[in-house]
Amino acid sequence: MTSTLEQLDADLVTDEAVRPDLPWQTIVWDDPVNLMTYVTYVFRSYFGYPREEAERLMLQVHHEGRAVVASGNREAMERHVHAMHGYGLQATVSKAEP
Amino acid sequence: MIVAGREGGADGVRIVLETEEAMLLSELADQVDSVLLLGGDDDPALGRLFPSAYPDDREAAHDFTRYTRDSLVDGKRQAAQSVRDATATERDAGLVEIELDQAQAWGWLTFLTDLRLILAERVGVTDPDEAEPADDERDDYLRAAYEWAGIVQGSMLEVLDPIGR
Repeated sequence: MTSTLEQLDADLVTDEAVRPDLPWQTIVWDDPVNLMTYVTYVFRSYFGYPREEAERLMLQVHHEGRAVVASGNREAMERHVHAMHGYGLQATVSKAEP
Repeated sequence: MIVAGREGGADGVRIVLETEEAMLLSELADQVDSVLLLGGDDDPALGRLFPSAYPDDREAAHDFTRYTRDSLVDGKRQAAQSVRDATATERDAGLVEIELDQAQAWGWLTFLTDLRLILAERVGVTDPDEAEPADDERDDYLRAAYEWAGIVQGSMLEVLDPIGR
């Protein structure tokens, strides 16, 4: 049974990439070198995000200094970070905040 | 430099370089390959190319590096070598025309990123809005190469990922 409180919690999660049942995260950090169009293209091509979502995440990296670009198990996040380093992006694996 | 779509609307990109531009890019690609081959752990440029996956967990960071470094170095060296070979030319040889399919274009994009990360470390780019004045000719040269590599990459992206598609 789903309580009202749980539904409220679910509604609070506005970021598609962050889900409480997925405890690890791939974080991409801002760097002064990479072009915004390049970062967007990497997010679109590698993660398959639609342009709007890829640009939203890119702008979040740019303005807030970091963005969670994926959530899931640790192994999958390490694969993503490995790929991001291949693209030349500054990325880290992080345990999601409880 | 001209960057355009390929004939018949094929995926990828077509690049036309002046002889001097091709020679410069080939030389830079060769240098990136050397940095990847020879660079020691004390080279700060490598910190930009291979950042820590776990900045707060030394052991996990070490394991991640152990499992990923070789394939990352291989991939980046292959990209640099493919650019070096595609741009190999001789003085007075005329324009260099290069056709890249989608996969080859990714090799160029990642190489140009690695090149810019290395050059940024060499000339001390920390924030694009606070570019320090170059203090000697070498910095002028490296900074010009950094800016130019960004223009090449930006032009490629305009073709590969046009806004509104």
